[in-house]
Amino acid sequence: MAASISGYTFSSVCYHSANSSSDHEGFLLGDVRQEETFSISDSQISNTEFLQVVEVQNHEPCSQLFSFYDYAGKINEENLKRILKERRQNVIGWYKFRRNTQQQMSFREQIIHKQLTQILGVPDLVFLLFSFISTANNSTHALEYVLFRPNRRYNQRISLTIPNLGNTSQQEYKISSVPNTSQNYAKVIQEHGAEFFDKDGVMKDIRTIFQVYSALQDKVQAVCREVEHSEQMKEVIQEEVNKLKKKIALRKNEKEAERRRKEEKEERQTEEKTEEICYTQMVSVDGTAEEQNHKIPDTSETPPLYSDVIVQDRDLVSQEDSAAYLPRPQAVGSSSQAPSVPGVAKYLGNGDGSSADSVQLTSSSQLLGNLAPEEEEENDEDEDGSSEYENLPNEPSESSDSDFSQLAEGRPAALRPEGDARNSQASDAI
Amino acid sequence: VPIQAVLSAVHLESDAFLVCLNHALSTEKEEVMGLCIGEVSMTCFAVRPSVLKGGSLFRVDTSRIVHIHSVIILRRSDKRKDRVEISPEQLSAASTEAEISFSLIFSQMLAEMTGRPMRVVGWYHSHPHITVWPSHVDVRTQAMYQMMDQGFVGLIFSCFIEDKNTKTGRILYTCFQSVQAQKGSEYERVEIPIHVVPHETIGKVCLESAVELPKILCQEEQDAYRRIHNLTHLDPVTKIHNGSVFTKNLCSQMSAISGPLLQWLEDRLDQNKQRISELQQEKKRLTQELAELD
Repeated sequence: MAASISGYTFSSVCYHSANSSSDHEGFLLGDVRQEETFSISDSQISNTEFLQVVEVQNHEPCSQLFSFYDYAGKINEENLKRILKERRQNVIGWYKFRRNTQQQMSFREQIIHKQLTQILGVPDLVFLLFSFISTANNSTHALEYVLFRPNRRYNQRISLTIPNLGNTSQQEYKISSVPNTSQNYAKVIQEHGAEFFDKDGVMKDIRTIFQVYSALQDKVQAVCREVEHSEQMKEVIQEEVNKLKKKIALRKNEKEAERRRKEEKEERQTEEKTEEICYTQMVSVDGTAEEQNHKIPDTSETPPLYSDVIVQDRDLVSQEDSAAYLPRPQAVGSSSQAPSVPGVAKYLGNGDGSSADSVQLTSSSQLLGNLAPEEEEENDEDEDGSSEYENLPNEPSESSDSDFSQLAEGRPAALRPEGDARNSQASDAI
Repeated sequence: VPIQAVLSAVHLESDAFLVCLNHALSTEKEEVMGLCIGEVSMTCFAVRPSVLKGGSLFRVDTSRIVHIHSVIILRRSDKRKDRVEISPEQLSAASTEAEISFSLIFSQMLAEMTGRPMRVVGWYHSHPHITVWPSHVDVRTQAMYQMMDQGFVGLIFSCFIEDKNTKTGRILYTCFQSVQAQKGSEYERVEIPIHVVPHETIGKVCLESAVELPKILCQEEQDAYRRIHNLTHLDPVTKIHNGSVFTKNLCSQMSAISGPLLQWLEDRLDQNKQRISELQQEKKRLTQELAELD
């Protein structure tokens, strides 16, 4: 079995991986075809072999991990359908990009692979594993890749070739003709060869093929312009979405602040009635002391409706002495930091006298929101790194044990200037 | 106050990285090369004097970071396999007018888009089937460029490497400069940290750079053909042969480069359209949510 992937698809996977701070995964789309190879050997006249060739044509990146499976590795078919849509029938495999891990399928990946095989109905589903490592000073980085076909018992790893221009040697041009004095030769090739040339003596094929190339290049440039445009549009809308999210978070925090303020106010009013003297003393000592001494509003209770709070406030104002909302003469005199509305000080302060505005709270809540998924991914990597690997069955062939011990040592060695530990490359091209 | 200028790192934008990889993977039979376009940013920071050393003055360190925003694919002036170099004269004067005007246009484009002056800050080349470390020639070439520009950096991409035993393929990349240990001695490699910086959008300059490759290949082929086409002593059969070589090579370029490039562009366009539609829906939803909050 052989496999190939275009350089552009391969680079694209690397590009998406470079853009993600965590692991990255996606699906491989393409074709599997049978190639017949003929070989003639001394023992047999003709030897026909059928070679299965897996051609990866493009990839469908997943926007995040766990998008079609859960922590236990159970696949959610609905999500899978939504991600793949009509491309489902072209799926021939899937891929995973990981940093600083071994070139081995994790337990969860194996489970997922089995389910995908069944759900997608692809008996020889492949799995492409990318592993990224760097030297300590980050001057050199390596991206290793292995293509597995886990559904086979033997020969699970396949060579992945990247078709390319190969040999475009221009040395194939002949700069001289083979000397020939035969008049017949010259005459015949002159007469019949003329068919190939146009009136200017230029070979017709040259013009024709150049036209094909030109038309193709025009198309490439045209689609390129469309892509440029779509990239810009995508960026603009992404910015707008980000701005909206920020606004919403800000607004939510503002509302939360207002709500708490109302609650605090109410509490203060009920307490003030009974603890007027104590409050004065506390405020005079330290503007923030009150925050520590007053109980924190119980957030487990359902907060009153905003409309209710407003009504209550108004009632309170009309009922009570308006002086309740003005700084007490003693308080103001003793501490210029006494806030006019006690609840505000509590909310805006961080409990230690430092000030904070609601914008900061917005960003920190966003941070927490962003951290949560990443933390989960880190746990995922931890699992992959430790206990799961102990449970993995070793690959049957190919001296797997020595391989992996070599990998553990060999990989850093491969990055050292002394040369590759595995002798797979030609010696230094010096 | 003594000032030390240090090249601390190279930041390679991921879309520029994409173009480098595309280029490096385009052929396994020869080394390809290109120029890195970007800017150098400097940050000065005061370093507290060491108590142990008994210093009382603050030292000011300047750290330089080379930001690479895009690359330009270059033609190989010398097609021999182990010679990848353009002389500093070539670099500043450019071997062909097309190259210099192209790099100027690029720098201009980038400058307009980012509002900052961009220039050539380094070079990259590929090592197909070869270890990623620069050869003696590479180190010397890099040293030459540094004479022109101290901050010039070199990148090498090693590809088409496979460990036959584990069927593991490998692509490596490294960043380096050259230094002369003592006057008159051989140049040595200095490792420079390099980080690929995420860039979710593929920039216009990078896209245009990527689609230059088929043009450059065709141009090279035309030049090669033109050189032998003018030879008048060739008989018709030889001429037909040469014409066929040209046709064959152009066909290789189309199937190996233009075709896959076009396919990738179309896929990217589809992906973007998909993403735009998703984002538009999200925008609608968020706008509604915001309105409800107000």
